[in-house]
Amino acid sequence: MSLEKKDEHDHRAWMEERDLTPIEKSFLVSLLWLDKRFRIVDYLELLENLYYKSNLQMPKSHTEQYNLDNKFWYWYPLYSLGFFSTIAYVVAAVSGALLGFYYAPATAGETAAAYDQVIYIMTDLNFGYMLRSIHRWSAQVMTAAVFLHMLRVYFTGAYKEPRELNWLIGIVLISLTMVFGYTGYLLPWNQLSFWAGQIGVEMALSVPLIGEWAAQLLFGGFTLGQPTLQRMYILHVFFLPFVVTALIAIHIGIVWMQGIAEPH
Amino acid sequence: MPSSEPTGAETEDRDGPESGDRETVVPMRVYKAVTVFSTLFAMVGAILGFALLDSATNRATAELSEVNVVLAMVGVASILLGAGVYAFATRFRAEEMGNAKNGDDEGSHNG
Repeated sequence: MSLEKKDEHDHRAWMEERDLTPIEKSFLVSLLWLDKRFRIVDYLELLENLYYKSNLQMPKSHTEQYNLDNKFWYWYPLYSLGFFSTIAYVVAAVSGALLGFYYAPATAGETAAAYDQVIYIMTDLNFGYMLRSIHRWSAQVMTAAVFLHMLRVYFTGAYKEPRELNWLIGIVLISLTMVFGYTGYLLPWNQLSFWAGQIGVEMALSVPLIGEWAAQLLFGGFTLGQPTLQRMYILHVFFLPFVVTALIAIHIGIVWMQGIAEPH
Repeated sequence: MPSSEPTGAETEDRDGPESGDRETVVPMRVYKAVTVFSTLFAMVGAILGFALLDSATNRATAELSEVNVVLAMVGVASILLGAGVYAFATRFRAEEMGNAKNGDDEGSHNG
């Protein structure tokens, strides 16, 4: 057995027996010349192989099981909303981490330091306006995409057996997304934030039995102040990121194992 | 439209030699190379062409007299070349594969 690999790149032989026009032939020859030197296709094949090996989808999907060959539903644009929310989440995480270098969660000062820092980011900091805008927009997009993703899952029946657990995790995730939004909304500590916080305190207080306890826990008191901002900040940049990232990982992991549901 | 199965012919002209529907069957590995590199060519051609067009017309703000005509033509040519290479590449297909351009690989499986 020869160690020499059979040359799959000898194209002259088959090209001779084909009825190729001169243009076609020179086209193929020049692309193959490139192919031999820049082995892009080989690397792509490597990725393709990796993709199929890492596809752990457990139960075959209905179309695969019965070899139905109608995979058109796979391309329904609405099936990408979950991924779209994930992208928005990642963008918000990265831009938020960068904003964290300039923001300070403090109410001290004639105008609160937090507000001053937001003004600084928006007016003086290079690319600050862009950075905060990206953060805000990705947050808005994520909320919208998550909601539409939920609608899609509901109306295609994707929550049905055996995917009940993932639906419940999704409910938790959409709630936490809104908590993310609310805590972030309070951070600039402007009038909008402050009175939104006031509404939050009063909503907490209106809950029977545990209302006062909940208001104390979440807002650090019954009137807004430094403890409120501090708690919103820690929730926004420390608590929620870990919880939500972990839940998203589990959520996507389950989709990975169970496969994408087909319309019911 | 009935799907056209590969007839065993190496190349086929659908509606006579003058139609633009020529199809050429090549080995799978070659098909991949054609797809990858022609797409790459098309992208580079289009991006480069628009960049040249931008610089020739000062991002479309230049007065007519200030437009660098030669550079602008080179830009348009680059875009056309990229598009041409891509369009030309659509005639190649691998064995037992419908032509994506004509939707041959997708039968009407009734939903």
